[in-house]
Amino acid sequence: MRLRLSFDRPSRRDLTVFGGYCLAAAVYIAFGVAWIDFLFSFWVGLGYLLAAAWLVPSLVRRQA
Amino acid sequence: MSWAAHDLEPYAIQKHMRLKVAFVPLLIGSYSPDMMTKWFVYGIHLGPWELKASDPAQFHRGWPGFGFTHSLVYGVAIGLIIWKVFGSKLWGVSFCIGQFAHAITDAGDTVGTMLLFPWTFHFHIDAWAYAGQTGRMTDAAAYFSGLGCMWDLVFIVYGLYSWRVLTSRYFDEVIYRADAFWPWLNRFVPRGALVVLYRAAFFYGTSRWIAWTIWAHVIHHYPYDLSWGGPHWVPAAHP
Repeated sequence: MRLRLSFDRPSRRDLTVFGGYCLAAAVYIAFGVAWIDFLFSFWVGLGYLLAAAWLVPSLVRRQA
Repeated sequence: MSWAAHDLEPYAIQKHMRLKVAFVPLLIGSYSPDMMTKWFVYGIHLGPWELKASDPAQFHRGWPGFGFTHSLVYGVAIGLIIWKVFGSKLWGVSFCIGQFAHAITDAGDTVGTMLLFPWTFHFHIDAWAYAGQTGRMTDAAAYFSGLGCMWDLVFIVYGLYSWRVLTSRYFDEVIYRADAFWPWLNRFVPRGALVVLYRAAFFYGTSRWIAWTIWAHVIHHYPYDLSWGGPHWVPAAHP
């Protein structure tokens, strides 16, 4: 009997979404390291993520 | 105390409980023990005045103090209020599970938590140093140099391993269906924004973990000390 490992692999679309969040995270981390107060508030993080991962992409899509 | 685990644990719990829990109260429960106390542990400045607990560890985790917020009975009490007063058993139970996760995780440090309050015994396994009394920045440096941050890392890795929990499909099939809060919010907020809201705590916890690690070890060069109870370069508080 041969044992076959199966991996739950993300689709191309999943990876694209993940890439977008990684980009947003990189900017957030850069801001946070430069201005440490940026890291303290969950609400600041939430507002930033809404802008970076939903508002801006929505506006760009609307313009296109 | 933990800096990112309380953001990340709800996703691990969600993965295993699926429709049996509601995510929002789970997250609120996970944050709840520190909601009213953290600012007074670290202290704030209001003009010429500094407001800070004279004994931060006692105030945060002890009795007399607000340590009861880290007990199991607190989670049960608030959960019952949510259930009986606001009429949602799902929200009550979910809050309770999130609060339990917080209280148990914080028993990992040197002060620990009064899990069985009103019995005031502190359960603590001393894996990492409690340094809240040293102020926010030193506490961050110490936390991100000891085993506490490694415990956070476990949840980051587990969350990424369980990546389907973070997908929009999972949101639609489980998160949205489990809790009437999401359809209600969807009347005012588009579905795309709801998915972002759902992912926010994982994003916040993971990004903050990376940022604080860079701050502590690339910018400031605090030494790692992953020994039990470390880092030992900071004065750890005890009950």
